[in-house]
Amino acid sequence: MERNLIRKSKVWSPEKIEEIQEKAQIGRYRIRGQATKRMDLPSFDDLVFTPAGLSRVPLEGYRERCDTKVVIGEGKVKRPLVLETPIMIAGMSFGAINAHSKKALGIAATRCGISTCTGDGGMHPIEREYSEKLVYQLLPSRYGLNPYDLKKADAVEIVVSQGAKPGTGGTLLGHKVSEEVAKMRDLPAGVDQRSPCRHPDWMGPDDLGVKVEQIREATDYEVPIFIKIGAGRVYDDVKLAAKVGVEAVVIDGMEGGTAASPEIQLDHTGIPTISAVVEAAQALYDIGMKREVKLIIGGGISNGADAAKAIALGADVVYMGSAMLIALNCQRPIYIEDYHALGTEPGACHHCHTGKCPVGIATQDPELMARLDPTAAAERVENYINSITMEMQIFARSCGKSRVSDLDPTDLRSLTLVTSYITGVPLVGLGGKKPYFASLDHGSSFKDLLKV
Amino acid sequence: MESVKESIVIDCKSETVTSINQMIREFAKNNIKEVIIENPLARHNLGVCITDPIHLIYNGDVGYYAVSLCDKVTATIKGNCGWAVGENLMSGEIVVNGNAASSCAASLRGGIVVVKGEAGARAGISMKGGTLIIGGNTGYMTGFMMQKGKMIICGDAGKALGDSMYDGVIYVGGKIAELGNGTKVEEVSEEEKDEIKSLLDFYQIELPPSFQKIVPNGLLHHFNKKEFRVWKEIL
Repeated sequence: MERNLIRKSKVWSPEKIEEIQEKAQIGRYRIRGQATKRMDLPSFDDLVFTPAGLSRVPLEGYRERCDTKVVIGEGKVKRPLVLETPIMIAGMSFGAINAHSKKALGIAATRCGISTCTGDGGMHPIEREYSEKLVYQLLPSRYGLNPYDLKKADAVEIVVSQGAKPGTGGTLLGHKVSEEVAKMRDLPAGVDQRSPCRHPDWMGPDDLGVKVEQIREATDYEVPIFIKIGAGRVYDDVKLAAKVGVEAVVIDGMEGGTAASPEIQLDHTGIPTISAVVEAAQALYDIGMKREVKLIIGGGISNGADAAKAIALGADVVYMGSAMLIALNCQRPIYIEDYHALGTEPGACHHCHTGKCPVGIATQDPELMARLDPTAAAERVENYINSITMEMQIFARSCGKSRVSDLDPTDLRSLTLVTSYITGVPLVGLGGKKPYFASLDHGSSFKDLLKV
Repeated sequence: MESVKESIVIDCKSETVTSINQMIREFAKNNIKEVIIENPLARHNLGVCITDPIHLIYNGDVGYYAVSLCDKVTATIKGNCGWAVGENLMSGEIVVNGNAASSCAASLRGGIVVVKGEAGARAGISMKGGTLIIGGNTGYMTGFMMQKGKMIICGDAGKALGDSMYDGVIYVGGKIAELGNGTKVEEVSEEEKDEIKSLLDFYQIELPPSFQKIVPNGLLHHFNKKEFRVWKEIL
């Protein structure tokens, strides 16, 4: 009898079958949180540092300083944003996450001398109270925007789009639109909220220039202004954003996080962060604004290696959102029965959109929120930020740099052809140069062989 | 700069936009009741982020973002406006004697904005409260994603009127080129008719013979597979 072995198909993989059958049930595209789950994206892991040896002298890790400070808007605005380390906590709305999480992130960021960001949904008073440096996002939705909060901001970020879903607006499902969230956003409570993808009062880069001037007038030229764009047509977008006259351009790669987005979009729109940073840096260089305009890169940055490599490729600061939530407690194996009730497990959860976050972060449910102790969570985030700072310093020192910002593309080599092609960083080995034996083959004479 | 009792004149010809805004803020803080802005020359950002009570009179046309991000401010604009007049007004009153370009009263939160002439596209877009009155016609996507508040359009309304509105109400005295997704037409009550009449009388705008009332139909409030035809147009 013929043996019919059980074989999985690449074309009709279990994941694809499950997706088709779920869509057949729900009658619409799938919506979920977290980020793309594609396994085939080029990443910073495809690069390695080439530390000092004889040709360059490394710094002593225990004695010699390695500066991490970054200032955004120096010499341009009255109150530049000073970051003690080139990390910023990315925008995550009150609504997507709750006040406990905002408080914990604020405490940690303040202790580390970095900033947090409001995200969509307005400035929550808890967030302002606990964040010494707070970036105020101005989004197409304009939820919670008011002149008083604008004046309280330490920087203003005009959001054009988000890396997880460039070209579309935000989504917050009704389970999370609590009375408080609804009040802050001027929405009916419990409604499935969709945000517009275009700003209501400007359309293109020329209008955006007038908008930036309006925000300058509103903030009395005190604080830096950023423009944030989801990574897509990065080279042209960055040039246009820089020409508008902002202090920083934020580029959010396709690995960027979300609390709720169409899954199909997470996996099939935008470009990876590693490619975005190179395009963005090149754009600023080509218009002679590389030093003048800071480049902030976000999207899947998870450790000091990612951050240091992004900086070596041209970024000045990295934006980190999802990783901070993980440091808070996201995906931690506690309350496991609640993960199972959602049909998932710790380490694979993406159920931020349901409002039933088992660890009490992406929820407005008071019972679930009580599971997150802001004080303990703040300490975890603080530890995590400090660890990334130390990791970045390891790479800078080992490459002989006394400032993390001095890392540059010549400190890197690519492990793969694709990454080398995308970034322009030479492959490990000779990086495209012909080896000394390239002119020899099986037909070479013994005399020629002796010459080498 | 010339001081006349409680009214002060700023001639824009000799000032920068920043100095004009700073002067207005300073006057408002010092309880000056009125500032007359001469020669605005359609410059952008005249009257931004004023949050103390004051009355502004613009003797001419203004550019983008006039009287924007303001609270407790009243203003009369004697000419026409560029984009986004009254953007994000929290409370107060703006009366535009001429026409307003696109996005007038965008993201309005409170108070009242009155455009006696025509308004461009996206009037009252993302309104979160307050009242917008347009004496003439208005353009494409008026009231798009309106969240709260009230809009009275005495003339015709362009396509996609009130598209994706969450809440609020739009009254239209003329023709509607096309209703937006997620909207429906309701009867106007006698009480509403009286309120509209009294508002239009107050601002000396001619009352149209009748109004249609546009409100959200609620079909877009929740993802619902039974409403696929509606959602197909939206998402």
